[in-house]
Amino acid sequence: MRGFTRAFALGLVLAFIATACTSGSTTPSPTVAASASTSTRPKFDLATYQYSLQTKGRIRIGTQEDNPPFSVKNPATGKWDGFDVAYGREIAKAIFGESDDPDKNIEYVAVTSATRIPSLTDNKVDVIIKTFTINDDRKKQIDFTDVYFRTGQRILVKKDNTSIKEAADLAGKTVCAQRGSTSEKNISDATSNAARLLLLDSYPACLLALQQGQADAVSTDETILFGLASKDANTKLVGKYFSTELYGIGVKKSVGGDRTGFVDFLNRTQVAMITTGVWATLYEKYISPVSFDKKRTPDD
Amino acid sequence: MPGGIAFEFPQLYLTGLWLTIQISVLGLFGALLLGTLVAVLRVSPIAPLRWIGAAYVEFFRNTPLVVLLFFLFLGLPLIGLRFSTDTFENIFRAAAVGMGLYHGAYVAEVVRGGLLGVDRGQIEAARSLGLSYAQMLRYVQLPQTFRSVIPPLGNIGIALVKNTSLASTIGVAELLYAAEIVESRTFRAEEAFIAATLLYLALTIPLGIAVNALERRMLVAR
Repeated sequence: MRGFTRAFALGLVLAFIATACTSGSTTPSPTVAASASTSTRPKFDLATYQYSLQTKGRIRIGTQEDNPPFSVKNPATGKWDGFDVAYGREIAKAIFGESDDPDKNIEYVAVTSATRIPSLTDNKVDVIIKTFTINDDRKKQIDFTDVYFRTGQRILVKKDNTSIKEAADLAGKTVCAQRGSTSEKNISDATSNAARLLLLDSYPACLLALQQGQADAVSTDETILFGLASKDANTKLVGKYFSTELYGIGVKKSVGGDRTGFVDFLNRTQVAMITTGVWATLYEKYISPVSFDKKRTPDD
Repeated sequence: MPGGIAFEFPQLYLTGLWLTIQISVLGLFGALLLGTLVAVLRVSPIAPLRWIGAAYVEFFRNTPLVVLLFFLFLGLPLIGLRFSTDTFENIFRAAAVGMGLYHGAYVAEVVRGGLLGVDRGQIEAARSLGLSYAQMLRYVQLPQTFRSVIPPLGNIGIALVKNTSLASTIGVAELLYAAEIVESRTFRAEEAFIAATLLYLALTIPLGIAVNALERRMLVAR
């Protein structure tokens, strides 16, 4: 017990020192690293939300724990990774300055599709970066940045399948999708209601049905199919996009100026990421291994 | 009119209702048959049979129905078993079998209670009159049991009808599934689910009335 108390006391002391160093207080910083980081800190207008985030020293990023290749939380190490996560780190760097460990300024908040909007409106997160499709209904409740990722609906089949090449080929086939999703409607539209829809609650269940031959194909956003394909080497993606999904970063609507300039700042950050090639690097690192293509901008 | 949305999507709601009825009826028959058999096992004089009966009840009563349905749909094919090669026939049968297996455990407990409620003296009298154990069950113990367990069996029947909604999780296009599809197409969630609720009530309320009537007819003065 005494050992524990001592460790706890030591932890408190360390935490105090760490806070003192990062809060940018008037006390002269004793370490070189801290002074270096303050020198590279971007300057913001005092009224902007990014300034208040910089002052707080912390940004809350909402993303999903199991949405490969966009966001994954490693259950063993607790470390986050993926395209959306790396994108969030770039935003953190743009606010807090270049850093080898942007995670020190990031608080990750795990969200699901259903909790994305409430977590913004309830001010539980500062941004949602989670394969978040921009649409008019959502725009009534929250703000979106410009499109940072463009995708569409495609088809996943077994590697040895040669009969399904395009959406029209799904007519008469058993196609698995999530119940109550737009994917299901897109399949019906693309085949004039001729596909036999097996509608389940999750895509991993769809993948199992596909593996067992209980479904001929799984069809939804390409991004989700990337994740499924990476779990099973005996599957492949086929066909062109037959719907367009545009992902944006979700931000709470500015009420009484509490998000002043934030969306503009995020958009400027993205423009910079594209011109400096950072966006392309992220795409190559996270998306290319499953998509086998390369993009320099979201619009490629 | 509440539930009027059902008339805008008659195809979805009617096929949904029809599938719900089919799964309910098949599941109920399965549950009654299995449950009675298991109850008889549980009160049998042979210990291993009692163990089998107890194991059945404990297993199926303690397994969530959704898990059971998923096992029948996606688990059995892993060991090479499938109810049908056609996917939609397969999920339909998996749903009916799942309903029967799961509610069979509850029926078994109710029927077991009824069997134990029959006066011990009657059983001894039947045996001493030369009836075999099977004859005694058939002519003395079971008939009295069924009279006394009609109300709790009615409860299980109504629960079963409502639980068929879980078949939507394995893709069976029953009533709840119809409501969810209509909701996702129209964004009129309240209307879509009110319509489904009214249709479920149209099944369960008459079932409750029928069970009460049956109970009164079977009532014996003691």
